[in-house]
Order: sequence, then C-alpha cells, then structure tokens
Amino acid sequence: MNAPDADAPLVERVKQGDVKAFEMLVVKYQRRIERLIGRMVRDVDLVPDIAQETFIRAYRALPQFRGDSAFYTWLYRIAVNTAKKSLMELKRDPLVTESARAGRDEDDDNPRVENEPSDAATPDAVLASKQIAAAVNFAVEALSEDLRQAITLREIEGLSYEEIAELMNCPIGTVRSRIFRAREAIAARLRPLLDTREGDRW
Amino acid sequence: MSIDGFDGSARERLSALADGELDPSGWKTSCAAWAQDPALRADWHAWHLIGDVLRSDDLASNPRHDRDFCAKLRSRLDAEPVILAPAPADPASRRVDRRARPGRWSAAGAVAAGVVLVVGTFAVVRPGGPPTAQVALGDAPASITASPVAAAPATETTAQPVAIVADSKVIRDAQLERYLEAHKQFAGTSALGVPSAFLRSATLDSAAR
Repeated sequence: MNAPDADAPLVERVKQGDVKAFEMLVVKYQRRIERLIGRMVRDVDLVPDIAQETFIRAYRALPQFRGDSAFYTWLYRIAVNTAKKSLMELKRDPLVTESARAGRDEDDDNPRVENEPSDAATPDAVLASKQIAAAVNFAVEALSEDLRQAITLREIEGLSYEEIAELMNCPIGTVRSRIFRAREAIAARLRPLLDTREGDRW
Repeated sequence: MSIDGFDGSARERLSALADGELDPSGWKTSCAAWAQDPALRADWHAWHLIGDVLRSDDLASNPRHDRDFCAKLRSRLDAEPVILAPAPADPASRRVDRRARPGRWSAAGAVAAGVVLVVGTFAVVRPGGPPTAQVALGDAPASITASPVAAAPATETTAQPVAIVADSKVIRDAQLERYLEAHKQFAGTSALGVPSAFLRSATLDSAAR
C-alpha cells in the first residue's frame, strides 16, 4: 500500500518547533513501542525506561527524518536499536532490577516492601487492560452498521478516507463524520474505565 | 464535555488529524487546541487506545500507566532544545523563498564569504606560533551548544573547523579583522533561510573580539 503517512502532519509540526505535536505522537505510539521492547527485554521494569529513551532519541533525531519511510517504521528501528544497546550495557554492567530482586528468596537484606512493582505488571493493571479490551469490543458491536464499517476500515484495514468513501459509496465528509462519531460512541463506553481518580489528567 | 457546534467540530477536526486527513491549514490550530485542552488530550488518548485494541487485544493497557509514561516523558522533553528543522514545507515560507529568488547572488555571496572565512582561519592558524598569540576561537564550541535552537544538520559542517582551531593559537590580523567586519552581514544566514551554525559562530566570535 502506498498511502501517505498519516503522521506526516504531526511530524511537520514538530519540525517547525511544536514540541506538543511530538507528545501527540508519543500518546499514539507508546503502547506499541512498549510492547515491542517488552518482546526483546525480559525484565518488565526496564521496558518503560527503554521506551522513554526511544522517544527522546527519536525527538533528537527528527530533523534528520526525511519521510522516506513511514514515521512509525523509523520509530520502530530506533526502539529496536535502543533496546539492543540497553541489553548490551546490561551484559557489561549487570544491575539488579526490582523484578529480578523480587524473584530471589534468599535476599533478606533488601526487604521487598520498598520495591513496589511497576504499574504495568500489577494484577490490578492487568485486570484494567482486560476490561478495556472487553469494553472496546463490546462498544464496536453496539455501533450501527455504517459507523462500525467506517471505523473498522480505517483502524483495522488502514484505508484512507478517500478509499473508504469509494467503498461505502458516500462523500469523504461523511466518512470523516462517521469515523468521528464511532470514536465518540466507543470512547463514551470507555470513559468510566479511563476516568481518573486523583485529579491527574491528560 | 459540551457537544455544542464549535466544540464538536474542533473534536472532529482532531479526529481527522489523527488519521492524517486534516487540511494543512488546520494543523496548527488543532495542535494548539490539543495542547490547551485536557479534554481533547483525553479524547486523543482514548481514540488511539481504541484503534490499538481494534488491531490487537494485547495493546489494551492500563490508562494510568499511559498517563504516567507521558507525564514523565513531557518533563524530559521540556529539558530538550526546541527542534527547528530546515526546509519548511509550510506554504507561507515557500512564498518567502520565491520572493527571495531574484536575489540569488546574495546566496553566492554568503558562500564566498564562508570560503573566505575558512581560508582566513587556516591562514592565521600557526601551530607553533609565538607565545603572545591569543587563543581566540577556543570557546567556539560552547557558543554553539549553548544555542537554544538545535539545527542538527549543521553539526557536520561545524565539527571540522572547530576541531582544527580548538587547540591552536591564532594571531589577530588587523586587515583580516576589518575585512570580516565589512562582510559580516553575509555570514549569519544564507538567502535560503538555512541557518549555518559555523558561519554564525565565527561572525559572533569576530564581533566579540
């Protein structure tokens, strides 16, 4: 597929000095990057740190990004290289991380209460993500046929608005509005799960 | 979460931006709205989370983790220099380029001035010079790194001359000084609008002496 990179507008904004546009890309890709790194690095405590490093490196290197590949392909490569580098440093200078320490029974000098497991790994967090997956799938099932088709063609098939308009035999403006309404409807069902308790907001 | 007309369309535009389908004239406004409005940021996260989950259930994540991750990254980004990449694709700056085209000679002038500067630097550098000579360009790297704007592609060109003069002694030449003074206006920027860190730092340096 030769579709133009959907991230090109945000990349352009970052290149013109808009740091917030880079944050928008971070919010978009943080989950995928963490999953990728999690497959390379066994220690779950290291994953967020390597992901942070990945995004910082990407930000610094962005002026050299010429758009020859999609932004995500480029970011993917940076994540792989950052993870490899961390693994090599770890081999040279092995440090005892929290999860490794938690797995050791004989180490009574380091009481485990001091080391809270990272939030991605707690049973509560696992449950929260399962609930979110269930809520999204349930909400998509509840959509009208038009909205479900539009959001599915966009998010799963990766089609452009123009291609979707052709397939659904409707104007591009209608595609844009259907995708937006589908997102709003699904997000409305997610909100109880996403809402924050202690006033920390996006 | 009011769904009045304006609010609704601002959100719809953000949704189109998420798909790369927003008209370029709306990019800046939508990004600014995102930066200012926590509700839009929450939407943005929710929409991308929805997309991720639709593609793969195992991308569902704990929203609190996502938020903490981004908050931490934001504070790290705040410490980074702002990016200003050359070759703007913005239609407004392209217009400026077209206007500047009749004055192509000033670009050639800037290049010529740059050559003179480099040659001049070589001419006055004497590795075994007399002890009274001053190390004049030794602090050039500092002035480059202290700049709040990172023009990354320029670093390759800056590295070499700086390395050459960094530990050498430089003799000041009154005639060269006057020449540099007279041609200073060509050295800072080129007509293409691409900042040249080396030329600028050399000019600043000569002005400081």
